[in-house]
Amino acid sequence: MQRKLSFEHTPSLSIPLRFFLTAPVFAMLAGLLLVWYGPQALSVRWSPITLALTHLLTLGFLTMSMTGALIQLLQVVVGIVVPHVRLTAAIVHGALLLATCALTCAFLFFSTPLFVLALGFLSIAFLGLLGACLIGMWRMKADNATFAAMRLALVALCITVGLGAVTTNALIGVVALPIVQMTNLHAAWGLVGWVGLLVIGVAYQVVPMFMVTHMYPGRVSRFLAVTLFALLIFWTASHGLPAVKSRSILSVLVVAVLGLFAVITIGLLWKRKRRVPDTTILFWYVSAGSLLACCGLWLVGIMRPELAETPSFALLLGVLFIVGFGYSVINGMLYKIVPFLIWYHLQTRLADIGMKAPNIRKIIPEQAAGKQFYAHGLVLLSMVLAAIFPEQLARLAGVLFIASSLWLWINLLLAGLFYRAALIK
Amino acid sequence: MSDIINLDACGLEPPEPMERVLEALSTLGAGDRICMLIDREPRPLYPILERNNFSYETTARDDYLFEILIWHKQ
Repeated sequence: MQRKLSFEHTPSLSIPLRFFLTAPVFAMLAGLLLVWYGPQALSVRWSPITLALTHLLTLGFLTMSMTGALIQLLQVVVGIVVPHVRLTAAIVHGALLLATCALTCAFLFFSTPLFVLALGFLSIAFLGLLGACLIGMWRMKADNATFAAMRLALVALCITVGLGAVTTNALIGVVALPIVQMTNLHAAWGLVGWVGLLVIGVAYQVVPMFMVTHMYPGRVSRFLAVTLFALLIFWTASHGLPAVKSRSILSVLVVAVLGLFAVITIGLLWKRKRRVPDTTILFWYVSAGSLLACCGLWLVGIMRPELAETPSFALLLGVLFIVGFGYSVINGMLYKIVPFLIWYHLQTRLADIGMKAPNIRKIIPEQAAGKQFYAHGLVLLSMVLAAIFPEQLARLAGVLFIASSLWLWINLLLAGLFYRAALIK
Repeated sequence: MSDIINLDACGLEPPEPMERVLEALSTLGAGDRICMLIDREPRPLYPILERNNFSYETTARDDYLFEILIWHKQ
């Protein structure tokens, strides 16, 4: 005789899903921008159109989905419940959405009031997120490598937003500061600090858990994130010194830490215990491979500075890091996180009437995810080539970007509809 | 006489460990115990156990595995 189990009613599924369903829409907008402006969007790193494109991807896609995942993972991994989660999520989501739209328009129309508006919304979004997370986080001891990396990632996010605000003020002429250096610092803290540290921290949990691999070696997972964070601080401080060489050495060390993470991840995936076909693993391979390629390119730039000064160089680094490393891993993990959340919520709701949740593999079929993976592969290839040949390939890359992110959005939306249909049944 | 049901959930992809333990909980006899072995701490399981009147004890082992002993509250 089977007994009915009762489940705690977890916060609504709509809380994380709203972040995950909004993120691909911004990726589609990024694709649309590429189609509309064509080669202008990939001609030089400093073009306002390129900056709009970059922020659509970094804020609109990467940060939007990472924020949704963070709110959810804090609870599952370290047991921290975000206070007033419904209200916090609504404020953070709404403010981040409006901030991304305002900032994109601010770059496109170079409008000071829109920059100010974007900064206002960003402050609300990140203060809401930080306030909600830090209250719970600061009370806990960081004896968990994931938790320690998440905490550092949030600090890096604060620094990124601060540097972004100062750079914007310099850009609109409020303060006189070296814009190139400020932008480099802002980009490094945003990409290596916020995106890199959070992906590293989350990887410690989700790679062994969902990919069924061995754990990351204990010594590595304890020191990787904190070393990366310390190196970023030293590298930032070195900007105030005349010694250019020490800055180069520090950036080589940052690259070495990121490269080590990529190599270990590829090694773990290669030797995974359960060798069943899985699309998310392919996304992880592409992500770690892109990170390695990005690190390699950075080293080439240090050895041959004349190459690093070409417009394509910085664009290629950005494409490899943002689309190759960041977008790929998030796209792949959404295919694990969303079905798991839907399964868990179905299990919770259906247990009350003595029913079981359906098989998780039915929520986003492997075939649907697999086909979208190849579309994403084409996006990455076309973006890499478009960074070198923008005249010929920028618009094609844009069309492929729209198609792939629309496909991802449809797969996620169908998963949401599956949830609704399973409850009605 | 009380029985111990051993449940090895190592190397299983989520939500399989949760499915297996829920299955075992739904048929657990009074006085019996489940001894679950898993490679990470199953935090989402704890509120379910508490809500359904089960007691549990988690031991973090030296080999980085977690052992969770579950029984009905008296």
